[in-house]
Amino acid sequence: MTSVFKNTAVAICTAVLGLSASAAWAQVHHHAQQHAHLQGQAAASTRAQRTVLPFDETSWAHALQHGPRPAAYLFTTSYCSTCPAAFAVLHDAVKNRAAKPPLNAVMMDVSGPQALRHARHFKGMTQMYAFDGFEPAIRQAVDPNWPNVTPYVVLVDGKGHTQRVIGPPSPDMLRRWLLAH
Amino acid sequence: MNILNRWCALSILAVAILCALPPAGAQNTAKEAAKPAASSQHARHQRPQLATGAAIAPDGRLWVVGLNAQAQLFVQSTSLGGAVQWSEARILNTGSDPIAADGESRPKIVFGPNGWAVISYTMPLAKPYTGFIRMLRSSDGGQTFSAPFTVHQDRQEITHRFESVAFDGQGVLHTLWVDKRDQPPKGSAQKYAGAAIYRNESQDGGQTFGSDTKVADHSCECCRIGLARNPQGQLQATWRHVFDGQTRDHAFASVGAPANRITRSTHDDWQINACPHHGPGLALNAGTSGYHTVWFGIRKVNGQDQPAVRYARLNAQGEPLPETLRVLPDARAEHADVMADGQNVAVVWRSSEGAQTTLKAWLSTDSGQNFTLKTLGQATGYNDHPRLAQSGARMVVVWRNTQEPQVHDIRF
Repeated sequence: MTSVFKNTAVAICTAVLGLSASAAWAQVHHHAQQHAHLQGQAAASTRAQRTVLPFDETSWAHALQHGPRPAAYLFTTSYCSTCPAAFAVLHDAVKNRAAKPPLNAVMMDVSGPQALRHARHFKGMTQMYAFDGFEPAIRQAVDPNWPNVTPYVVLVDGKGHTQRVIGPPSPDMLRRWLLAH
Repeated sequence: MNILNRWCALSILAVAILCALPPAGAQNTAKEAAKPAASSQHARHQRPQLATGAAIAPDGRLWVVGLNAQAQLFVQSTSLGGAVQWSEARILNTGSDPIAADGESRPKIVFGPNGWAVISYTMPLAKPYTGFIRMLRSSDGGQTFSAPFTVHQDRQEITHRFESVAFDGQGVLHTLWVDKRDQPPKGSAQKYAGAAIYRNESQDGGQTFGSDTKVADHSCECCRIGLARNPQGQLQATWRHVFDGQTRDHAFASVGAPANRITRSTHDDWQINACPHHGPGLALNAGTSGYHTVWFGIRKVNGQDQPAVRYARLNAQGEPLPETLRVLPDARAEHADVMADGQNVAVVWRSSEGAQTTLKAWLSTDSGQNFTLKTLGQATGYNDHPRLAQSGARMVVVWRNTQEPQVHDIRF
């Protein structure tokens, strides 16, 4: 009987330690996970339809420095009904290319399942992110002059140069983005 | 030894159970994850829904309506004139309604005659960009409220969102909202720019409603609607409008006028197919029978795009008086609100710099000829847009953060 309790205690201790370690790991590696994704380990498109990753004040600088190039980021909200059309412009620009740059959507006002409800409106989306923090602060980290209008699109070219536009990007912008591939 | 081992095992078991339970702050996330529509890896925390409505009741008490941390609709009130002492928050029965309470989409409360009061909100539906306008009514000054009901007759799963509600001078309740029933069918060659503004009215404080009536075609899709009474007590409305297919300026109309009888009230000529999430404000300029208005827009100035929140006065028909146009003295101004009493005019807005947000006011005592800039407060982290509430000459700003709805008296 004693050994049963000993074994039980050991098993539970192991479980507790495991849970605690997992929780601590999740906390510590929150940013690491996010950055790993921004570094180009974006999931396959089917997985992208099921997941949304956090995007905080540090995400943008990291994406520019370490993220995939070229890439496109479309910042949107749950009530931006003009955003899917802008995303379709991005998708049309890359859909016939052999090497398709990642097309990411960043949801600003909702997260989790509420954000994912919009995934089907962004055909060809590589990964969805969601703001995780005070929206004006994150917006300022992305662009201090961005007046909270969506769609806000940033095209990062192969050399890391950015073009930014409110609304759908023009054909000329898309051409420059993909030329510097 | 056996007893010790048992005690040890039970203690560890209790710790393990406690560790496995989600923390209080994770309850919403857990609830959401249980919904069948989608799953998520994003479980760090939920953004607080702070968008709050405010109004001063006929007895002079300030009321607010919003969502608590559990996404339940609550009301609370305080007397004005002394220290703010909020009553205990009262949770209202909204059944299983999800409630939009973010940015320009917020619960609202208005008071009318005969003890009437109504609370409105947008209930998002499962399909993105869709919603119903829901309402709770009271006939005892807000002591009790009805169960929620849908305000409009149209029940398609489409956009009915961004409602505004007000009683006119005759006690008629008006509800206006952004509506997409006039969109051509999907796949159709027809194009329809933006959405439409629809309205209805209730003669009995929200017990019964007239038919849904179109105010105008081609509104912007996602901005609040500004309302103000004219000197005769009739409601006037302003909203962001899509002119000529792609120019997002503002329209003005008398509520109750035939459909599409609108006046263009701003001329930024902002040609964009985008959602600014930033609707206009409107207040009566009593001295001239015209109006004060504030709005956000981007206009070309010396060939450069100049985004700004602007102020101007309109004539009685809603046409802008060009010489009155002013840019608010803050390049980071967002979501301005305006109210006026006699020659006193208050414009308030929030201005964020990183995690810091400042509440500012621009005050005039000569009907908007001259303004004085004041800082009313500061906050770190999450906060709502500032909301002005008025009863006669008394004006207050309600500004909610994660701790409380702050109240700032406007002193001219």
